[in-house]
Amino acid sequence: MSTGMSTGKNTGMSTPLVEIENLTVRFRGAQTVHAVNGVSLTLEPGKVLGILGESGSGKSVTLKTLLRLLPESRTDIGGGVRVDGRDVLALNPQDLADYRGAVTSMIFQDPALALDPVYTVGQQIAEAIIRHETISAKAAMARALELLELVRIPSPERRLKAYPHEMSGGMRQRAMIALALAARPKLLLADEPTTALDATVQIQILLLLRQLQRDLGMGMLFVTHDIGVAVEVSDRLAVMYAGQIVETGTVRELLRDPQHPYTRGLLAANLHGAKKGERLEAIPGAPPALTEPPSACSFAPRCKHAQDRCRAALPPVVQLGEGRVVRCILAEQALTAAA
Amino acid sequence: MTLQTHPDRGGPGTPLLQAKTLTKHFPLGGGAVVRAVDGVDFAVMKGETLGVVGESGCGKSTTARVVMQLIPQDKGDMLFDGEIVGGQALTLKEYRRQAQMVFQDSYASLNPRLTIEDSIAFGPTVHGVSKANAILKARDLLQRVGLDPARFAARYPHELSGGQRQRVNIARALALGPRLVILDEAVSALDKSVEAQVLNLLADLREEFGLTYIFISHDLNVVRFISDRVMVMYLGEVVEIGPVEELYDDPRHPYTKALLSAMPSMDPDNRTMEAPLAGDPPNPINPPEGCRFHPRCPHAQTVCAKVKPILATVGEGARQVACHMQVPGSGHSHAPALEVAA
Repeated sequence: MSTGMSTGKNTGMSTPLVEIENLTVRFRGAQTVHAVNGVSLTLEPGKVLGILGESGSGKSVTLKTLLRLLPESRTDIGGGVRVDGRDVLALNPQDLADYRGAVTSMIFQDPALALDPVYTVGQQIAEAIIRHETISAKAAMARALELLELVRIPSPERRLKAYPHEMSGGMRQRAMIALALAARPKLLLADEPTTALDATVQIQILLLLRQLQRDLGMGMLFVTHDIGVAVEVSDRLAVMYAGQIVETGTVRELLRDPQHPYTRGLLAANLHGAKKGERLEAIPGAPPALTEPPSACSFAPRCKHAQDRCRAALPPVVQLGEGRVVRCILAEQALTAAA
Repeated sequence: MTLQTHPDRGGPGTPLLQAKTLTKHFPLGGGAVVRAVDGVDFAVMKGETLGVVGESGCGKSTTARVVMQLIPQDKGDMLFDGEIVGGQALTLKEYRRQAQMVFQDSYASLNPRLTIEDSIAFGPTVHGVSKANAILKARDLLQRVGLDPARFAARYPHELSGGQRQRVNIARALALGPRLVILDEAVSALDKSVEAQVLNLLADLREEFGLTYIFISHDLNVVRFISDRVMVMYLGEVVEIGPVEELYDDPRHPYTKALLSAMPSMDPDNRTMEAPLAGDPPNPINPPEGCRFHPRCPHAQTVCAKVKPILATVGEGARQVACHMQVPGSGHSHAPALEVAA
């Protein structure tokens, strides 16, 4: 099994809000899928970690583990997941229900699926408040109104009585954020919350999330495939590939000095500043199928720097600095050369 | 028999495609009408790539479907290399050999019960090519799009990845030897690393086959990379059109400006601090009077609510903008001064 890899060394300054230790997730079925293969990360309270990866990289699965949203009968989860001092994987059903929403909450890509079509937005938010607090229905509805104001929905009194289908995409996304914040969570999980939105709406929602996260002092794990989006909201980034974190660091470090060939390829593929007529430095091939747990570097078949060593054993976990970790022999060579 | 190549009739000066006041409305019942495409004028020159950008509801996909004649227009004409599409000189069947389309959903675009070589060969056989020749052509095209025919020809769509399937769709679009290929969000569903491969492929094929592209996308980085000229649409109308670098460096229409400044900054020290526009793009049912952008425009004045701006040439002539601020004497206080006749 691979060694754990930390996104930020715990210096003892504060207890991390999230501590994931060597997480593995397997889906059993006709063919076992090794979706997450030894992910370790920490998140300090009030900070934002962007998790960047392509489809099948395990980024959403990692996120869902934090709320135990994966189907338990078909999923084997290994390793440790602690949020705000709780062992999430060990919570009994009652404690899990108390934990969901109140400690950790989540927003999704498609608010039309995440909201209940037969209840008004106000009813849904009030329900979430009542589940976690001793409060009258009237007071809960008043809080729901405050939440709609907080996420800056225009004419909130009217929208409180609106059904999800009566709202535009951007407004539904705001309503879902209000719902997620109903029980004042310490951790907000965001799974591609702006991917389905138009460009001018996407930037509004990103700015809103950034401000709410700061004002409410929430920690946030923000999963996206879009580097540009991740840069707008994150303090730190973790790049995932084939169920592993291949590189972590601050946003600045990853953008200015990417070390892992996959990170470099992703940055080039973003086309930011790419000039017309230039050839794109595309990463050849496609991600692996993950039917086996990795026994070598998962990126080696697509990597132009790959050596025999990369195909023979798991790559070294190279610590380049405080919270700056790369899973690649290139980083090791750079470190040796610098020493 | 193999397919004839199409001669260039009008010469390089004639646009390959010219759309004139193209209009498509969808009635909703109860008198409401979605004005999806409302009097759109544009031309695509031979060998160029025209990028089309805009947000949901702006009519970019409906425009593509009308250009492809998957849906008929309510009003307006299209000229293909100088001939009226669907007229006597260029029948619809003949036009469709010369114009092809690639869609966003690579899986829904392919018949799940046909092997990919059969899918690619299907079009040419409809146009009279023998099955054997069509299959040969299909294998050749698979090779061109980077899929080894020995490994892939006999596979079914579900046995391919998204990126591979989109290569198949591109090969199929090329099977009839078209001159115009419409790519409607053709790389949007692909992962970034795969998207770059397909963009490189599209650039190679354009060169090799002398193709003309209409490239529709919501991704402004991708459009900048692949396009020669860019057309910006808003609520069923063209608001700005011009050469790609000029338009990105100096957008003239307030909506183009907003769209470009909504792009993530990619700079952690210089993050976006303010959203350029509030609210969602409005619904194309009952669009606003006058300039359709005026309710969201920071520079709107009385004239904007009353008079619809026409798409007018500005500067050196390569750029067209539909904004009162660009037209002398429009009545907008930011409009350039009228030149006094000498």
